[in-house]
Amino acid sequence: MKNIIKIAWRNLLRYTRRTLLTSSLIALGVALVIVFGGVGNSFRSEVTGILTNSNLGDLQIHKKGYLGSMDNLPLDLAIPEKGLAAIRGILDANPDVLAYSERIRFGAMVSNFAQTTGIRLTAVAPEKESRVCPALPGRIKQGDADPAGFVKPGHVVLPLTIAAGLNLKIGDDVVLVATNKEGSVNGITFKLSGVSENIMGPQGKDGYIHLDDARSLLRIEDGEITEIAVKLRDFKRLGKVYPALKQAVSALPGGKGGFETHSWEELSPFSSIAKIVTLLILVVRLVLVFIVLVSILNVMMMSVYERIGEIGTIASIGTPPSKILALFLVEGLSLGLFSGLLGCLAGAGILLLLQAVKLKFTFGAMDLVLAPAVPLAEMLLSLAVVVIISTLASLQPALKASRMEPVEALRHV
Amino acid sequence: MPLVKLEHASKNYITGEVSTPALKGIDLSIEAGRFISFVGPSGSGKTTLLNLIGCLDRPTSGKVFVADAEVSAMDRKTSAKFRGENIGFIFQNFNLIPVLTVYENVEYPLIMVQNVPPEERRRRVTEMLEKVGMAEQAHKYPAQLSGGQKQRVAVARALAPRPRLVLADEPTANLDHATAYKVIGLMHAMKKEFDTTFIFATHDQKIVGEAELIYTIEDGLITETRENAVAGGVK
Repeated sequence: MKNIIKIAWRNLLRYTRRTLLTSSLIALGVALVIVFGGVGNSFRSEVTGILTNSNLGDLQIHKKGYLGSMDNLPLDLAIPEKGLAAIRGILDANPDVLAYSERIRFGAMVSNFAQTTGIRLTAVAPEKESRVCPALPGRIKQGDADPAGFVKPGHVVLPLTIAAGLNLKIGDDVVLVATNKEGSVNGITFKLSGVSENIMGPQGKDGYIHLDDARSLLRIEDGEITEIAVKLRDFKRLGKVYPALKQAVSALPGGKGGFETHSWEELSPFSSIAKIVTLLILVVRLVLVFIVLVSILNVMMMSVYERIGEIGTIASIGTPPSKILALFLVEGLSLGLFSGLLGCLAGAGILLLLQAVKLKFTFGAMDLVLAPAVPLAEMLLSLAVVVIISTLASLQPALKASRMEPVEALRHV
Repeated sequence: MPLVKLEHASKNYITGEVSTPALKGIDLSIEAGRFISFVGPSGSGKTTLLNLIGCLDRPTSGKVFVADAEVSAMDRKTSAKFRGENIGFIFQNFNLIPVLTVYENVEYPLIMVQNVPPEERRRRVTEMLEKVGMAEQAHKYPAQLSGGQKQRVAVARALAPRPRLVLADEPTANLDHATAYKVIGLMHAMKKEFDTTFIFATHDQKIVGEAELIYTIEDGLITETRENAVAGGVK
């Protein structure tokens, strides 16, 4: 095998320019896949991180049917106190759950005494909410952003668009008016303690009040809530934890219909964009496969055609067909391997450069910093794809070479 | 038992619906250890006859035996193995592998065909290169050699696997006369040294005289067989 590899490499180096051109093309394709994969994954995880860490949590639990009516923020689809206790029991017992935050989400009117507009409010216990959404206090760009108490009783945090639209400053009084599930309307005056930046999705423009204030405003006397946001210790384990948690929660007796669990992907429109990014990475991979297939097939077919006389010589002096096959297969495989490694190095280099530069841009209302990590798995996968496709592409020319009749090959000029 | 035996061997080349006879029922018997020449004009059937003996091609009819084996009945894999073990080839265009050095070219059949152990391989390659006077050029590539040097390397490559039979098709056609005589002389010396049977095809009348036994081939038939008592006179 050592000699076959040696001869294969020397044959590749024999046509240096052609080998380098083909290698460059394949390496470019591999580098493109790695860079695109790295940047795409970085973008996906950055946006996912913002959404889950500042608003959604990794998972949410609702009363069954709530998600279908989520745009209306229905208060009649609430998790009752008894059910809440059972869900708490499940979450407390699960070692993968880092924290959870109980929320009441509802629609209200906000007024600065001169103008009034509609608003979506999320009522939270700030210290719990900060554990589930650690990036949320950081999104409060004006006012109190203390993670343990970014919204205190009697205070409200409004999204930037509404605060600006109503011309409000920190410390100003606003009135929140809401209708409870019985249809009774109530209004309470709050002091503006913070203004938060918007992020993507309908929940990205929510205002925040304290959970106790929501109970007063909505005249909720028992401990019912509308939503539980859950944070996992390791986001990568979502795929395993989610189905188990979903099953455990749906098995709870919850009156009419029970409870439902949803992952962040089911709650955010960004999940479609994330899927498109994944699809694009796949398309780029397919383009790479095509580039490798055509390049190697072309080079190997030319290689066999140019060396028919040589094939006749080695066949006539007794080289077995299997070794002739191996010679050409190893040649194609070596070209693929070399090009793949070159592409991996180039791709990793570009990603390291991007990592050092820290590319900043705005997506929707979110400020993103792209610092893509070198995706080792992506590199290994690309390399494996290139090597396998190279070998497959070399197979037909190699078979042709190994099946040549020596006497006919020797006649070839 | 002769080393090479042909029993009414014929070969027709078929192009479309036209069949062109290249050999017409050749009967031939060659003893081991001879230095033989097939002589005749271009298109007479010399190369076809060498191809049949070298089991590179199969006769249309008749049988071909080499070293007691019926090579005309062998499949591709078996005939490749048989050639690797029993037959050496020297070509008109030298046919050295351009990406291998002189040393590696001679070593090639020992590695890729016969799987000779490294020590023995080294000994045999060095010995052959010394015998053909190419030891000094061992590290050079074929492109760096003259025609005569290339053919000496080809002779070494053909003999390194210790074949019983060496077939040479127009081995001097691309060489000037002086070099051609040197190469024929070398082949003669190697024949004596290793007791290998040499059969070469040529239409060069000047080197025909170096063969011990000369077969004249015309229109696919052996028309004359002549013993040459003064063979091997070249130095």
